[in-house]
Amino acid sequence: MRSGDRVTREEDGSVEVEDSAPGPFYLPGRSYDEMFEADGGVRAHYAAMHMRMTTLEPTELANRQRTLEQSFLLQGITFTVYGREATTERIIPTDLFPRIIPASEWAKIEAGLIQRVKALNLFLADIYGDRKILADGIVPRDLILGAPSYRREMIGLYVPHNSYVNVCGSDLIRGEDGVFSVLEDNLRVPSGVSYMLANRDAAKRTFPGTYRTAGVRSVERYPDLLLSTLKSMAADWRPDPQVVVMTPGVYNSAYYEHAYLARLMGAPLVEGRDLVVHDNMVYMRTTVGLRRVDVIYRRVDDDFIDPLSFRRDSGLGVAGLFNAYRAGNVVIANAPGTGVADDKAVYAYVPEIIRYYLGEDAILPNIETFLCREPAQLSYVLANLDKLVVKAVGASGGYGMLIGPHASQAERDEFAQQLKADPANYIAQPTIQLSTAPCLVDGAIEPRHVDLRPFILAGQKMIVTPGALTRVALKRGSLVVNSSQGGGSKDTWVLTGDGN
Amino acid sequence: MMLARVADSLYWIGRYIERAEHMSRLSDVMLNATLDQNDAAVQVARVALAAVGDPENHLADKAHLEAVQAMIFDRDDSGSVVTSLARARENARQVRDQITTETWERLNMLYLRVTDSYAEIEFSQASSSFLHNIVADLHLFKGAADATMSHGEGWGFLMLGVYLERAQLIARLLDACFGDKVERDHLSDHLAQMAVLRMACALEPYLRAYTADIQPRYLLEFLLFDQEFPRSIRFTTARIEEHLTKLSRHAEATGRAGPERLAGRLSARLEFADMDEGQGPGAILGAVAAECSRIHLAIYETFVAYPLEQRLPA
Repeated sequence: MRSGDRVTREEDGSVEVEDSAPGPFYLPGRSYDEMFEADGGVRAHYAAMHMRMTTLEPTELANRQRTLEQSFLLQGITFTVYGREATTERIIPTDLFPRIIPASEWAKIEAGLIQRVKALNLFLADIYGDRKILADGIVPRDLILGAPSYRREMIGLYVPHNSYVNVCGSDLIRGEDGVFSVLEDNLRVPSGVSYMLANRDAAKRTFPGTYRTAGVRSVERYPDLLLSTLKSMAADWRPDPQVVVMTPGVYNSAYYEHAYLARLMGAPLVEGRDLVVHDNMVYMRTTVGLRRVDVIYRRVDDDFIDPLSFRRDSGLGVAGLFNAYRAGNVVIANAPGTGVADDKAVYAYVPEIIRYYLGEDAILPNIETFLCREPAQLSYVLANLDKLVVKAVGASGGYGMLIGPHASQAERDEFAQQLKADPANYIAQPTIQLSTAPCLVDGAIEPRHVDLRPFILAGQKMIVTPGALTRVALKRGSLVVNSSQGGGSKDTWVLTGDGN
Repeated sequence: MMLARVADSLYWIGRYIERAEHMSRLSDVMLNATLDQNDAAVQVARVALAAVGDPENHLADKAHLEAVQAMIFDRDDSGSVVTSLARARENARQVRDQITTETWERLNMLYLRVTDSYAEIEFSQASSSFLHNIVADLHLFKGAADATMSHGEGWGFLMLGVYLERAQLIARLLDACFGDKVERDHLSDHLAQMAVLRMACALEPYLRAYTADIQPRYLLEFLLFDQEFPRSIRFTTARIEEHLTKLSRHAEATGRAGPERLAGRLSARLEFADMDEGQGPGAILGAVAAECSRIHLAIYETFVAYPLEQRLPA
């Protein structure tokens, strides 16, 4: 089968391929397709998977998809939908075909991510320390010191290994030219790693033969590598540091992931109410009394970790936690205040930041970004709203954004008013046609836009897990992959070779 | 050592699981016995409704199938099967890192089945097999927990919940048959007596011990004092004592009436009690209920909701 070929299946199971003009079966369009070359040939690293996809009966594919969804439901990999009459639980839509990345491409991604996170950690150490980069005028002072995510409380604090960000999940996308660029850095409490692991588990059961022969690098060590990363942050004089995972609770949409990581690390899953601070030490309430806690892998936002230091109305946090942290008696990972470095406006400066600290060019390019806080760039953005994606600096999850080409004139006009009212709050980027990968949609194999979220661990050393969460925009033609906006996910296979 | 909140959740999973199982079995037996139009049917329905606690008589007015449907599906009833299963699962979700995947999946699957939008239709079409499957699935849950969870502290709290709940449920069932408030010929029918044994899942073990000569006196004796039957009050009390002794070994709490001492006292009382002492069965059953509540509170004071001042490092 070549892309665009029409495939019909006879009742006797034979497959007939018509070598005709592009049909409804698989239309990659002008985006870069992960499976097909521009001329319709199958990319070498996809050959085996492509063969499997096209030889399986549609009913068999549907069966495997159903088995996959059942197993997610059974495991409780769900989020809750509050409806009018009853609350129901839905699984995050998941697609059975893995997205495949050859070794040579991955090598570049890996090097690029290590470089990037290294530079961002140095940047954080600097802006909470000597502020050299601000004094040298590389990054505007007001952009950093005026940001709500800049935590004055962090100034001058010692952070082991300068690892402010211990867990990072950066979003990469592949444009029409096939080049991976960074769309966004998630340095606060990135999520999705449990889906990476659950998807892998499912993919191995869905395509065991293909998996075995493809030479896929394993991702299953993530939990123990996370644990050792967290332990490497503890003080040297604590021989066997007690690590805990802190969750906002069972009603949080990522609760499954919190419990999953705690279970696989063998660390207690605590809520704020399980912890007590006494004499600047953190304890958890156990059945045998209070027990000291050394490292908190918190999945709670900065604002909510300590009502005494941050938001007073937070019921999720622990009073006095930040003082215990300041006193060096507990580690909070990621460190508070990392959000300032994944701000969408600061993002535009990351290539400069890399050059400043490491003296290197960025291996993974940024997306061209217009800062609306600069008057010249603002007028360009306003004149080209129909071509650009405009995002609010503080928002995430696909909210507060305008996709110019997909919006109506009225929507664009309305957004332009917001832009003019508060230009510093917005950035704009050209609309990128994300690459597409084959997905099973209503029984047919169709291209859908995907991005890539790899996970980077940074403690004493840096580790990039050879795999990722591939997020899928399940609506035809949609470019929004966020799960809150109807996105799904699929497994990502990083190969040991290039599939030749 | 485990988080106090986690111990609390495991304990309640045990209680809710046991409650759901008992309620399902009791409903199944009641529906089956009331298929006949005879004395036994009347006695069984009376005992069953009294045992589930229906003080306002809003179940008694309903047809049996409707009453059972409410006992199974009524979300507003804190004792219904669906409520118990939903709460057990909610607790399990909160301690998902503490129970094995095998255990979790059994409970999650059962929960998804009984809360499915077709569940009530399934029940009305085949109530007996529906209830039977719930009981069987709960046995699978317990079996999976037994076979895959470490038999340490977490297991201890889970089992504590199961046995405490069981002791109270059986005590309530016996109270509905032999308590001070019931009349003498309350449970006179042979078939009704068999049904009560079934409600306690005790018919076959009873027959092996006493043969088919069912006497209310033996029935009571069996469910109160048998040493080997896992649903007799003596058996459950002995398990409660065992688990508490093991759990208390770690706790730093000393110097107050620990729950293991309360359990030991109840256990000893059952050990030496004799039906012929002159006291009616109501006295013993009342004591069992009171002691179980006291043990429940003591578990909280010792392991879960202890005052922090006493546990701060010096």
